[in-house]
Amino acid sequence: MTKRKLYLELENCIGCRSCLAACTQCGGHEQKNRNYVYDVNPLVNRQTMPLMCLHCADPACARSCPAQAIQIHETGAVLSALVEKCIGCQNCTIACPYGIPKFDEEENLMYKCDLCIDRTKDDIPPMCASVCPSNTLQWLTEEEIEMKKQSHDVGNDKWVTSMHYLEGETNVTVNLPGILQGTVKLF
Amino acid sequence: MQKDKFFREIENVNHPNEKLIKTHCSYCGMQCGMNLRVNTLTNKIVGVEPRYEWPVTVGKMCPKGVTAYQQTNHKDRILKPLIRDDSSLNGTKEGFREASWEEALTLVAKNFKELQAHYGKDSLSVFSGVSMTNEKCYLTGKFARVALGTRYIDYNGRFCMSSAAGGFLRTFGVDRGSTLPWTDIHETDCLFIAGSNTAECHPTSMFRVWAVQERGGYLIVADPRETPLARRADIHLDLRPGTDLALANGILHLLIKNGHADEQFVNQHTNGFEETKELVEQFTPAYTSMITGVSIEKIERAAEVYGKAPNAIVMFARGIEQQHKGVDNVSAYCNLALVTGKIGRPKAGVATFTGQGNGQGGREHGQKSDLLPGYRKITDPKAVEHVSKVWGINPEDMPQPGVSAYEMFELMEQKTIRGLYLLCSNPAVSAPNLNFVRNAMKNLDFMVCSDFYLSESAEFADVILPSVTWSEDEGTVTNLEGRIIKINKAQEPIGESKPDWQMQVELANLLGKGKHFDHLKTARDVAEEFRLATKGGNADYYGATWDKIDKQDGVFWPCREKEDKGTPHMFLDNKFYHSDGRAKICALPYRPPAEEPCEEYPLRLTTGRVVYHYLSGNQTRRIPFLKDMCPDPYVEVHPSTAEKYNINHDEVVKLFTRRGKAEYKVKITEAIREDTVFVPYHFGHDESINLLTIAALDPMSRMPEFKACAVEIEKLDTGKVL
Ligand code: SF4
Ligand code: SF4
Ligand code: SF4
Repeated sequence: MTKRKLYLELENCIGCRSCLAACTQCGGHEQKNRNYVYDVNPLVNRQTMPLMCLHCADPACARSCPAQAIQIHETGAVLSALVEKCIGCQNCTIACPYGIPKFDEEENLMYKCDLCIDRTKDDIPPMCASVCPSNTLQWLTEEEIEMKKQSHDVGNDKWVTSMHYLEGETNVTVNLPGILQGTVKLF
Repeated sequence: MQKDKFFREIENVNHPNEKLIKTHCSYCGMQCGMNLRVNTLTNKIVGVEPRYEWPVTVGKMCPKGVTAYQQTNHKDRILKPLIRDDSSLNGTKEGFREASWEEALTLVAKNFKELQAHYGKDSLSVFSGVSMTNEKCYLTGKFARVALGTRYIDYNGRFCMSSAAGGFLRTFGVDRGSTLPWTDIHETDCLFIAGSNTAECHPTSMFRVWAVQERGGYLIVADPRETPLARRADIHLDLRPGTDLALANGILHLLIKNGHADEQFVNQHTNGFEETKELVEQFTPAYTSMITGVSIEKIERAAEVYGKAPNAIVMFARGIEQQHKGVDNVSAYCNLALVTGKIGRPKAGVATFTGQGNGQGGREHGQKSDLLPGYRKITDPKAVEHVSKVWGINPEDMPQPGVSAYEMFELMEQKTIRGLYLLCSNPAVSAPNLNFVRNAMKNLDFMVCSDFYLSESAEFADVILPSVTWSEDEGTVTNLEGRIIKINKAQEPIGESKPDWQMQVELANLLGKGKHFDHLKTARDVAEEFRLATKGGNADYYGATWDKIDKQDGVFWPCREKEDKGTPHMFLDNKFYHSDGRAKICALPYRPPAEEPCEEYPLRLTTGRVVYHYLSGNQTRRIPFLKDMCPDPYVEVHPSTAEKYNINHDEVVKLFTRRGKAEYKVKITEAIREDTVFVPYHFGHDESINLLTIAALDPMSRMPEFKACAVEIEKLDTGKVL
């Protein structure tokens, strides 16, 4: 079991897409990045946000796969399709609520974030969280995540920034924008 | 070196048949630590792995850093010297043929000798850059003065750091880009960042910047655009380009008026307070607001927050520096720290975000027209004596000071300069007023260019010498903190490429100056001589041996002796480097930009970087990921302005100034002032925004005013909309 988990603090994102560049550097990722960074409102401001696989506890992608090509690692990471099993039906790309799995038309093969399983199985941070210059993506212990939750949860009915899960329970924790709402200024 | 709260013990992944070489990024002044992955069967660089233990950046990298390794074995590398016999093809990529090193260097030496025989020593010039090691920067200065014997050497830092240098020298008597280490940033209480798009230009500073806010500290940002940094600022001072001096004076006025001046500090450690106080009295919030376009409330709030902050750091970058009053802007922002005494201790001070990897070290050791190694003045006889001894020359033979980078092009135009040795720079994209500059390069009798890719500037050369990337040589660079760090070699040079220092040693031989260069057989040999040459200067590197750099995670200069650990924090004893030990608070009258908007050119043009590209883009435009993310330049326009001109998102329009024109796709965004348009400068040929920029030079730093000139937009299909 890994000690740490992926944690996202969307407010911090500066849109550099280093996470995407770094994704290709993981062994076995064959130079294809597997996640997304969106311009939230490009004609208005520079807010951006990453969209990463959340590694659902009960992943829709894996459930939808007729060939059982999507395996779940003991760490909870939802792996990329097994080459020998994937039949290229693309069910998973439709089933995932966030549109995470990508499809390689040439290889007729789905590929998705495997949380850099080569690294995270040994508790080494995934490439995206290693390089992210703004700490939007972090690799934290359960206790650290709990502390984040407490400091960012405003409880004023306006901002619910600390979400335990989105569509279902996930192995990745996301903090929506608004993390500074509860910060007490130093002076 | 201290490990801060961001530091984690993390093991690296080592793939089978690979080894990791510890080094730093090739690009900006952050100099993020990285490991290059080298295949042990082919001995080629194949990738990158984070360097978690590097204290400044703890493994983090921007997308340029992540993909930097792809430069080394890139298909566009120049593998052999190239010669162009048909000079009618000058200014194009065409007509180059491969040649041996012997033929190429002999041709260079022959042309250099002939030009100097006909037109004198000073008919040759050297234009260099600071995206290379201290050792190379040092030797380039020596090569110009000893092997060529010319006064005309200058470098691309004139387009980058020279205003910061000028301001720091005037204010503190010493030019170290940051008075404190970067590991202090997240612990301060207020960051006042002016003219820096930190999130795009120095992204790996951002986790520390955001941490200030997370602790309840404040972020004040002065920028005409709502950059990804300004987006989250507590106070965004959205000023008109080119009005920074008024803003700084206005804030200073309020700091003094509201009792935030530290009288004891001012009395004991500074000069110039009274006349400055008097000068800034005029800069009331209303007057400052009128000039800058920033609301009175924001100006007052910024002064209040900075004034009250127990600790604060003032930071700035090219936004305030690339103006014809860049030096004054720098001194004016330093005034804030001096008047409030927020300097000379941890977590409080002043810093500039150095643009190029070695923008700090490269400006200290003799590539500047008036400097010798160790930040010594070439006009100071003692300095000349010291350096002449190290170089083994007669002090009388030391050339006089030359002229600044842009002024060298003026001399080329006038045929005072007839030959050019260009290295580590691409002025055909990065210089201002490019129509003029490109013509000046075309006008040369002979030009040799050293580069590892065929840059836009190399298109004007008669001979191209293939140099190496940062990963194929070793040496030191000085990062934006003033920390001297070590770049390590990960791969042998590909093809017949060679490091610049080696070319210079060989050329010096052919020019009959071998005895001053022959002993330099390795980069380490150059380093040893370089340290001696800096000894006793303000930027003293004598104690910064490669071993110490390795052991200590870098060495902050000054480091004068073998036992000296270096100087992470400057001025802890409140001693500044002027002869009386005091810093200078400067009274700086406001001057508007050299070219103000008018009826014909009603908008303000400002330029800058995007996160995906570095400088002239000669490297990053060739990297697939970076090119995909930002393939073309564009012009940012506010929606109300777009409406006035009847132009739409993604429509191609013509921009023109008194100097040139170019066409760009429109990017509509509310994150810019209505009176301002922005274009990134990383692109070549017809796409260069520097065709339009103005060469109004700062009187002290000779920095051109890249950041503000008057421009007009023309809608292409229906003509100009009134
Ligand atoms: S690396 Fe971090 S800051 Fe950059 S785009 Fe990805 S999540 Fe955002
Ligand atoms: S986020 Fe989508 S791809 Fe990732 S585990 Fe959940 S369902 Fe599967
Ligand atoms: S370009 Fe600058 S910020 Fe980006 S990785 Fe390189 S040194 Fe770091």
